[in-house]
Amino acid sequence: MRRRVSLPQQVLYQLILASVALFVLLPIWGMARLAFDETLKGAPVTFTVWPTKFSLEAFRKAWQTPLQALSFLGLLRNSLIVSGGAALSAVVLGASMAYAFARFRFPGRQAGLFALLLGTLLPQVALMTPLYVLLTRLGIRASLFGLMIVYMAFTTPFCVWNMRAAFQAIPEELEEAAFLEGAGRLTVFWKVTLPLALPAIAVAALLTFLVGYTEFAIGWLFIERGENATLAMAVSAIMRQTLPWSQLSALAILMSLPVVVIFIILRHYLMRGLLIGGMED
Amino acid sequence: MNVKTYGIKAPWLRVALRVAAIVLVTAAAWMLRMRAVELLPIDYDEDDYLRAAQQYQVAIQNGDWGALTQLNYRPEHPPLAKLLYGLALVPLPQVSEIPDRPTSASPAASLPQPHLRVARTVAAASNTLEVLLLACLSPLAGLWLAIHTFTIKYTAQVMLEGLPAFTAALTVLTYEQSRRHAGVGERGHTGWLVISAVFLGLTAAGKYLYCVAGLAVLVHWLWQTYPTTKTGGQNPFSPAELKKIRFNPFHPLRLFARWLGPALLWGLLAVVVFVAASPYLWSAPVARLWDSLAYHGAYTQSQDVQGAGLPLWQPMVWLTESVPWHPGVFVVGLDAVITLLAVLGLPSLWRRRPLYALWLLIGFGFLLIWPTKWPQYILVLTFPLSLAAAEGVRARLWLPLRAWRRDWRRAAPATGRVMRRELRAALPWLAPGVIVLALITFYPLIFQVGIALTDFNTTSIKDGIQGGIGRELWKGVTGRAEPVQVDIFARSRPSSKTVRYVGIGTFLDFISAGGMGLLVFEGVWTAAAVGAQAALGVGVALLLHRPGVRFKSFWQTLFVLPWAIPEFVGALVWMQIFDPRYGWFFLGASFPETPGYPLAQTLAQWQQDPNLAFWVLLIAGTWMGFPLMMLAASAGLKMIPTEVYDAAAIDGANGWQQFRAITWPLLLPLLAPALIIRGIYAFNQFYLFYVLNPPYPLTTLASLSYYIFDSTGKYAVSAVINVFTVIVLILSLLWFNRVSRAGKGVTYA
Repeated sequence: MRRRVSLPQQVLYQLILASVALFVLLPIWGMARLAFDETLKGAPVTFTVWPTKFSLEAFRKAWQTPLQALSFLGLLRNSLIVSGGAALSAVVLGASMAYAFARFRFPGRQAGLFALLLGTLLPQVALMTPLYVLLTRLGIRASLFGLMIVYMAFTTPFCVWNMRAAFQAIPEELEEAAFLEGAGRLTVFWKVTLPLALPAIAVAALLTFLVGYTEFAIGWLFIERGENATLAMAVSAIMRQTLPWSQLSALAILMSLPVVVIFIILRHYLMRGLLIGGMED
Repeated sequence: MNVKTYGIKAPWLRVALRVAAIVLVTAAAWMLRMRAVELLPIDYDEDDYLRAAQQYQVAIQNGDWGALTQLNYRPEHPPLAKLLYGLALVPLPQVSEIPDRPTSASPAASLPQPHLRVARTVAAASNTLEVLLLACLSPLAGLWLAIHTFTIKYTAQVMLEGLPAFTAALTVLTYEQSRRHAGVGERGHTGWLVISAVFLGLTAAGKYLYCVAGLAVLVHWLWQTYPTTKTGGQNPFSPAELKKIRFNPFHPLRLFARWLGPALLWGLLAVVVFVAASPYLWSAPVARLWDSLAYHGAYTQSQDVQGAGLPLWQPMVWLTESVPWHPGVFVVGLDAVITLLAVLGLPSLWRRRPLYALWLLIGFGFLLIWPTKWPQYILVLTFPLSLAAAEGVRARLWLPLRAWRRDWRRAAPATGRVMRRELRAALPWLAPGVIVLALITFYPLIFQVGIALTDFNTTSIKDGIQGGIGRELWKGVTGRAEPVQVDIFARSRPSSKTVRYVGIGTFLDFISAGGMGLLVFEGVWTAAAVGAQAALGVGVALLLHRPGVRFKSFWQTLFVLPWAIPEFVGALVWMQIFDPRYGWFFLGASFPETPGYPLAQTLAQWQQDPNLAFWVLLIAGTWMGFPLMMLAASAGLKMIPTEVYDAAAIDGANGWQQFRAITWPLLLPLLAPALIIRGIYAFNQFYLFYVLNPPYPLTTLASLSYYIFDSTGKYAVSAVINVFTVIVLILSLLWFNRVSRAGKGVTYA
């Protein structure tokens, strides 16, 4: 294990890695080549590796052309309201509950953990039918607020489960030291535990946010008017029409780009955030 | 044999109970089969085999024994089972011969009575004898086989299954007897072997397929008698033995002969019996046998089989549902439960009766590989399947229950006061989150069960939202509502503007009309997707972990890309490649645009072909999922101390040995969370299926539920599917919990 690799080995390894990279990049390039192609009207009909005429026209169009009666920024604003609101509420409302699960041994804790985990594992579709009826009855189904509640219902169990793991990772001895100083449970939580868990909580919030940011199928079942559409919903609406593939590709790229950048920067934290807790307890 | 005591002490009572159980099970099997004989409509192929029997009947009644060597209608199947039906028809009068129609013809409109009933009864009787055999091994296993609906159906019709299934069971049982007498100098050993060879020959003369039982025997035989020092002989491949070759070149050959020879003789005897029991072969054995076998090879490629469009894993679907076609014929439909219990019992069966476990596994492997997927083929393994199911009850229900009862008596008194104090402290922390979650997640889940019990849909949406669901539920629970029926897959909706009570009918319909089949696909898909993702992810992580590999962080950053891309965009990029008309791949594959690229044209049909579509899904799914595996494996590899490898290197372990003995066992627990997360993702996968739109049996429960909600507007049916999903998830969660608790000792040691 300790020895260095020889040159032929190095070449072999790099070739293997390059072929995996080809697998990774090929479909991405397949989309990019469409987005950067100015000449494309509708669907592509010839096989091209490079855009016939390179331009950023499709991006400009995607940015400027209103979709669902909203500009790109308007759609983005809706997306941020809905998924940001869902993530924020999930974190704020769930944090104390997560703390209770991490620190107390109350009766019914096992059952509660089981319910939380079940909520985490549910496919989003599993809540669609009852929420549709309940929110319609409340009269808020087709509003941004209603959609926010839907995304909250999808994500809160996951968020609580993750924050619980984050709190559990903080050694109890730190809190006990503060108790000896005479501080109450609330003070200790606020001054000691929460600041230490903050990075992990932020990751949980980000993962929660992304669920709403990329969701569109259920959104379209609930929302009726275009002005309440989110970015992902707008992209999906083009996907079903025969608009130029280049514009669709450009929009998809614009939408994914910030996420990709965040993921690449924070990949290790995000991975830990996803895997934390696993299945134990 | 090890008789289960079930807490009963007196030996004579145990024996009496056992005999009573065997008699009861056999009687139940006989009654269920006779009921099916009377009620089942005429099925495909019954006219063929009854016609064959008629020809034998006429020949025998006329005393024309020579004709038997020339007659074998449907010569692709050996004659013995047909001959048996013919013998049973001898006392009956001759009627006009059933017309000769192609195998693919639809079931005959009518067949002569009582001939049909007599032939069916013969099949049912031979299968009842099989149940009797199994009940002697284990009455519970006999019961499972007695109520297995596919077994009942295909042995209560004039098919070829009844006789060979019975003789196959006898082959294995008599072989097992011979193993019991295999001790030094014991008599009876050879006698039992000869009998089992005879039964194998008769099995082959009944239907070739059932010879998988003989294959299982052969594997078991060669495995058990493999010459090692333990069984008395010498390992023919040990260095000491190989050295002797120099002095005696025949030495290893002799060992080989002693090992393989008896098995070979046994097989030869079976072949002789097979030919003897197939009069049709006597005049031209080789040519006629060849024709018959060649037919089956060609049949797998025929339009009948290919056109049925059954996917590779279809046998698993047959095993996880009860016969869906004949409502009212079968009294109970527990086939899915039997299979589930068999899966649970297989490890224990493997330890206690490896012969039957081998039979089950080899039979299953054969069903998966063989391209023809007719439902009756699963009868080759329902005997060991039922035995495994009985073992599942013993090892997974009865023994744990007994242990649990013992623990329960010894449990310490609860520490009530401490618990109450903890609860009081925790309550203010819990309240806000619990209230919100209860309102937006768990109340809807319960409400959904209510929706699933009605026929709520777009037509009745107004009534449903204004409280119709609750009203109908109350009526249904208090017994004041007449339950209506919902047609799950019809595109039309009920026209009623008010919601109506249905009860659990829709749920049961869904399970019998494909729910279990979808679950099989979910299992296959989850295992394949996670397996491929783990293989690629761990492989890349191992490569990047090697010291001295250049550009590590560059490659790793690049490989993270698919994970960072939102799932539906990821599905979209693959759709832009595999779109049958405009996809990058197909634009390139048929370039230049001339006809005559048959492969490209076949591939472009992937949205109609389940097996091709599965590959497309798998490629896209692997692309999306492997980065998380790679990151998790990389993080895990960093935690394995290098000293372990140094020690291994001193011991002279090579790369593969190091991976097997050190890396993999240490990595697996660290990888478990990632495997579970990707598994759940795959199980719930939605956008991939939404965008790629594969053909029907390839759909996750989530996609199907969405499709029904969105395009047919039958909200109640989508709720039924969701309830089913939640139940499956709860069950798998309970199972996970058990496994992870068992694995904890390893993980956190």
